[in-house]
Amino acid sequence: MLGRAVTFALVGLEPRRVEVEAHLRGGEQPSFAIVGLADRACQEAKHRVRSGVHSALLEWPRRAITVNLAPAALRKEGSGYDLAIALTILAASAQLPRERLEEHACIGELGLDGRVRPVAGTLAAAEGALRAGLRRILCAADSSGEAALAGVEAVGVRHLAEAVGYLLGHDAIAPAVPQENGHHVGPVPDLADVRGQERGRRALELASAGSHNLLLTGPPGTGKTMLARRLPSILPPLTQDEALEVTRIHSVAGTLPPGGGLLATPPFRAPHHGASAAAVIGGGSVPRPGEVSLAHRGVLLMDELPEFSRSVLEALRQPLEDGVVSVARVGGRALFPARFRLVATMNPCPCGARGDPRLECVCPPARIAAYRDKVSRALLDRFDLVVAMPRPRAEELAAGPSEPSAAVRARVVDAALQLASTSPRRASSASELLDRAVDRLPLTGRGRVRVARVARTVAILAGSEQVLPEHVAEALSYRAPAGLSSA
Amino acid sequence: MNVRSVVRGTNGYPPLLAAIPDPPSKLWVRGDAALEVLARPAVAIVGARACSGYGRSVARLLATEAAAAGVVVVSGLARGIDGEAHRGAVAVRGVTVAVLGCGVDRDYPAAHAELARAIVDVGGLIVSEYEPGVEPAPWRFPARNRIIAGLARATVVVEARERSGALITADFALEDGREVLAVPGEITSTLSAGTNGLLRQGGTPVTSAADVLEAVGVGPVPVGATAPDDPTAAAVLEAMAGGASTADEIARTSGLAAGPLAAALAVLELAGSVVVEEGVVRSTIAR
Repeated sequence: MLGRAVTFALVGLEPRRVEVEAHLRGGEQPSFAIVGLADRACQEAKHRVRSGVHSALLEWPRRAITVNLAPAALRKEGSGYDLAIALTILAASAQLPRERLEEHACIGELGLDGRVRPVAGTLAAAEGALRAGLRRILCAADSSGEAALAGVEAVGVRHLAEAVGYLLGHDAIAPAVPQENGHHVGPVPDLADVRGQERGRRALELASAGSHNLLLTGPPGTGKTMLARRLPSILPPLTQDEALEVTRIHSVAGTLPPGGGLLATPPFRAPHHGASAAAVIGGGSVPRPGEVSLAHRGVLLMDELPEFSRSVLEALRQPLEDGVVSVARVGGRALFPARFRLVATMNPCPCGARGDPRLECVCPPARIAAYRDKVSRALLDRFDLVVAMPRPRAEELAAGPSEPSAAVRARVVDAALQLASTSPRRASSASELLDRAVDRLPLTGRGRVRVARVARTVAILAGSEQVLPEHVAEALSYRAPAGLSSA
Repeated sequence: MNVRSVVRGTNGYPPLLAAIPDPPSKLWVRGDAALEVLARPAVAIVGARACSGYGRSVARLLATEAAAAGVVVVSGLARGIDGEAHRGAVAVRGVTVAVLGCGVDRDYPAAHAELARAIVDVGGLIVSEYEPGVEPAPWRFPARNRIIAGLARATVVVEARERSGALITADFALEDGREVLAVPGEITSTLSAGTNGLLRQGGTPVTSAADVLEAVGVGPVPVGATAPDDPTAAAVLEAMAGGASTADEIARTSGLAAGPLAAALAVLELAGSVVVEEGVVRSTIAR
C-alpha cells in the first residue's frame, strides 16, 4: 500500500518539489525507515511522527514502513517534512483519502504531542506549491498567514488530528488571509534626538532617498553611530513586491517575528564586527542568507568598519556591486538577493584621536597605514557619501532643536518616488564642473559615476528638473578623500 | 635620471652653502635644472613628520606663497611638513630643492617617489652629499639638516615637538648666522612645543607668508587663490574667519543649509581656496 504527498525543499530561496512516498509491507517485522538523502534532523522525524500519530489517537501501522523522499539526489534537511511524512503514512494505511492529500502541499514540524509547528521557509514553499499547480497548502496555523501571502489557499492546522479531520472532510477550515504588516515594529530612534550634525543629517537624507552607501568617519563620541541608527526612521516604505522579497528571505532564515506576516518596513541589520564571512555574506554547507541578504531593501550598519575581518570586507564587494550573493555548492548554486544601503562608521586612526583638536594622535604612521589598509580603495570607492564628523571645536556654537524624522521622511518618500520614475538630465554646465573635478581631484572612473548618481539625488531633493552645477558641487563634497585609504 | 656632482671651490657650488662651518666637499645633484638654482634666494621650510592638519596647511600655504614670489623652497622630502612644503611649491610650478640623507637616486621615503619626480619635472633639484647608491640611515639625517639650513637664507620651522629633527636644522641655521622663524602653535599641543620654544628663545614668529618673504628679502607677489565674488562662498569664508572650522560650525555661523554649504565648500576646494581634512576646513587664502 502506497501513500504520497508533496512538499518542498529549499536550495537557497528556490523551492524544489519533493515527493514523499510511504510504502507499507505486511508479513515482515514492523520497522520504520526514511530514505532519500535525509539529514539528521530529518531522520529524527521518525520519532516525532510516530509519537505524533499516537498522540492524535490514530493508529500506527504495524508493518514494515519505508518512507522515500524523492528526488533522492537532493539533500533534505530540517524538520519541515514531518507533517508530510505523517500524512503519507496515514494515507498508506487508509486512515485518510489519498487523492485529497495529493491536492495539497504539506509543510510543518510535528511535536511529540502531535501539534504542528511552523518552520522556516514556509512562504517560499507556498510559492513553490503555486508554481507546481497545487492550490492548497497544509501548514502550521501560526504560519498560515505567511503562506497565504504566496496567493495559495493556506490551510492552517494546530494539530495532526486537525489536519486528518480536515482531509477526511469532517472539519472545514477557513483558508487563512494574507497577513499584512503583522508584526509589531518597536520604537525607532528619531532624528529629533540628534543636535547639530547638519552635514551628517543631510548625508543621511541623501542616503535614504537615493539608496546610497554612506561612510561616517570621525573620532569616537561625535555621534556617528547615533546618526547611523536613525536611518531606518527616514526610509521610504517597501513596495508590495519588495516586501514579499524581504519576507521570503527572512522566512528562509527563520528571522521572521513569531506569527509574522508581511514585513512592510525596511529591515535594519547591524552585525557585530566579530561576525564571520559566512554570517555576514551568507553561505555554510547548507546555504543560508547572511546579514547582507537579511538587510535586502533595507540598511546594513557596519559599525567600526576596519574592525571587521579582511575576508568579510573583501567579500562585501560582490553584493555591493551586483546586489546579489551567489553561493556555489555541490547541490547547485544558491542566489540570495542583497541590495541594501550600507552605512559604516570608522575612526580616522586606531587610537581615535585624529580629527579631535583636543587630543593628539599617538599612532605611529605604520599602524595608521595598516588600519586604513583594511579598507581597500576598491571598497572605499563603493561609498557614494563619505562624511567626516570632527569634534566641534567651539562649544558655544550649540545647535537649536532638530527636525524630527517624520518631516525628513516625507521629503525622502517624495524624492524616492520621483527617482523611481524619472532620471533628471545633467545640464552641460554641470557636466563641465564634473569634468573639471576629475582633472583636479583624485577621482576614479567609478568615483565619477558615484558623484553623478548622488548629484541626481541632490537635484531631485531640491525639486529641480535638471542636475545643475550646485548639485554636482554638493555631491563632490561627499566623495571619499584620498587620504582615507592607503592604497 | 640626470645626476651630476659639483665639487666645493668650483663653479656652480652654492655660495651660501660654502659659507657654513663644515660644507660638504662634494654635492650630488639630480635634475635637469641649472646649478644656478642653488644660488637663488631660498627659504628652508621644515617640521615634524607626524604633524597636524594645521601644520600641513600652513606648510603648504607658506611654500606656495614663497615659490610664487620666486623664492626657492628647500626641505628634506620627509613625510609630513617637508612633503607639504615641496608640494606647495610644486603646485604653483615653483622651484624647490630636496636635500636627502642618502643617494639622490634613492627615493626615500618610498611614498614620496612620485613627489621627487614632480619636483624635478617643474625645474627643481634633488641634492645630497652622499654618492648615488648610498642607503638611508638615521645617523645621516642630522648631517643632511646642516645642508638644508646652509642652502637657505632663512629657516622656517612649521611644527616640531621638543627634541625634533627640525630643531637641529634651526640650530644649524643659527650657527650659520641665518634667520630662524617659527610658526606659533597652541600652547597645549605637544606638536608645537618645539616651535613655541624657539619663539621663546627669540625666533621670529610667522604670522603670514609676508613675514617669510621679508626674512628672505623678497617682495610679495599675489597668487592665484583669491577671495571669490560669489556671495555664498564669501559667507563661508567670513564664517571661517570668525573661527568656524567644521562644516556644521560654518552652517550655524553663516546660516547656510547643509546642502548649499556642501556645494560652496566643494567649489572653494576645487578653486584651491580651502582644504578639507578629516572634516576640518582651512583657508589657504593669505591674509
